[in-house]
Amino acid sequence: MIKAEHLIYRYEPKDAPVLEGVSLEIPEGQYVAVIGPNGCGKTTLVKHFNALLVPQQGEVLVDGLDTKDPGAHREIRRRVGMVFQNPDNQIVGMSVEEDVAFGPGNLGLAPAEIRGRVGVALETVGMLRFAKRAPHSLSGGEKRLVAIAGVLAMRPAYVVLDEPTSYLDPAGRERVLNVLWELRQEGISVIHVTHSMDEIVDADRVVVMSGGKIIRDGAPREVFREADVLRAVGLSTPQVTELMGRLRAQGCGVRPDVLSVEEAFREITALLGSGTGGGR
Amino acid sequence: MKTLHLGQFIPGDSPVHRLDPRVKILTVLLLSIVILNAGAVESLVVTAFLLAAVALSGLSVDRIAAALRPLAWFFAILFCLHLFFTEGRPIFSSLPTVTYEGLGLGAAVTWQFVALVVSAAVLTMTTAPSELVGGFERLLRPFNRLGVPSHDIAIMVSVALRFVPTLLEEVERMKEAQAARGADFAGGGLIRRLRKMATLVIPLILCTFRRADELALAMEGRGYHRGPRTYLRELKFTRADYAALLAVTAFLAGVEALRFLPL
Repeated sequence: MIKAEHLIYRYEPKDAPVLEGVSLEIPEGQYVAVIGPNGCGKTTLVKHFNALLVPQQGEVLVDGLDTKDPGAHREIRRRVGMVFQNPDNQIVGMSVEEDVAFGPGNLGLAPAEIRGRVGVALETVGMLRFAKRAPHSLSGGEKRLVAIAGVLAMRPAYVVLDEPTSYLDPAGRERVLNVLWELRQEGISVIHVTHSMDEIVDADRVVVMSGGKIIRDGAPREVFREADVLRAVGLSTPQVTELMGRLRAQGCGVRPDVLSVEEAFREITALLGSGTGGGR
Repeated sequence: MKTLHLGQFIPGDSPVHRLDPRVKILTVLLLSIVILNAGAVESLVVTAFLLAAVALSGLSVDRIAAALRPLAWFFAILFCLHLFFTEGRPIFSSLPTVTYEGLGLGAAVTWQFVALVVSAAVLTMTTAPSELVGGFERLLRPFNRLGVPSHDIAIMVSVALRFVPTLLEEVERMKEAQAARGADFAGGGLIRRLRKMATLVIPLILCTFRRADELALAMEGRGYHRGPRTYLRELKFTRADYAALLAVTAFLAGVEALRFLPL
């Protein structure tokens, strides 16, 4: 479990804090989406999870290890993998496989073990046939997948991804999201920071941040039901949820917490059915 | 995008390609010593050795020539300097005087540089950059105790190499962005071209610092720490590598010994 308690953090002593007392618990195996407008502290928060930032006040415990203890950093970083926004700036190796081997090499594993892990990690993200390629010859989506594989090779219990689908074409985005879903199926916690509401409707949990605080924390259905709360901080709801909201504003009796196209379809056909059937 | 030609790795499966990088690096080191000490007879033997190495490596003569071509002017000037400014018996009594000694010395010195470049080119053209870095790292490892941080040097070099194409792309992007706003990179005198380069160099440096910052964070996040680490491929000498190293060392020692024979 990752446990943050009363986290306060400011980049400059005189500035207003970026995090103003954030408390959060993420159990193992959960898919957590973190959303919020730019500058709300999402990235600052998740950097605390693998000790890239250390709390100025409050504390962060990763499976009981305190991130304030420098001696625990190696183990914390092994358990909590971090995929940054720009894959170009996190690929170290001269080839895909060497890059994926970077983490396990830092752990001091034997070459045979490294080889095995590199194979499994590349297989998981579907990039095995690119093993020998040079990173700069890959597409944006492929680079993201390599960055994810690099983290997976450390066998983490939690993977934090900061806007993993930004700048990707629809196909690349789809591949990245499928991989994230697969990680969840394998029991790895996914902490997914994003601006896209549509890609997190299947998350176990959505954490909404604004102004350095968590303002909502719950299942996607609960969170997206309150469209006005989200709108007030500059966020939107998934497209279908938005559509249902507008229908309700027109006086139609549909549910406000619809998340998928199928659900929306059922709601609308029911509405049309009752409309023609009732006739009033 | 422009490709780098100077000694760029050319994938292949020749006996030279398959050799352990350490064997190739040590060979080039030993060869350099022999080349810099060589007299007339030795230089013939070394030339034969280099030709054999090129033939074995399956590299075409064109490739080798391509590695030498950018240095052609350097070789020419080197040769002329020795030709004209060496004292001795004149061939022509022109001014400056061309001497027999000058001709000999010019040829010898130029040959030395050509031979050094060719041997380095065979090394880098038959060895993948990652193997080259790995080879150097492994060779430096015994000096860890003397304070040579072989692992950190290896990471530094490989990160630098990894980012060369990325930064070239970045330059192209900046050029396009500036061209889109009316900058003109073609033409103009030397001073104007240099000034235009400055408009690219400064943002490139800033960008690179930002990249370095993020990269450092990402590396830390992936558990990087100073000191020993392990690698996907640990280099291992095969019997062929031992044989090759032994043969090359014996051969080059033999060439050195030639100098002491009364020929």
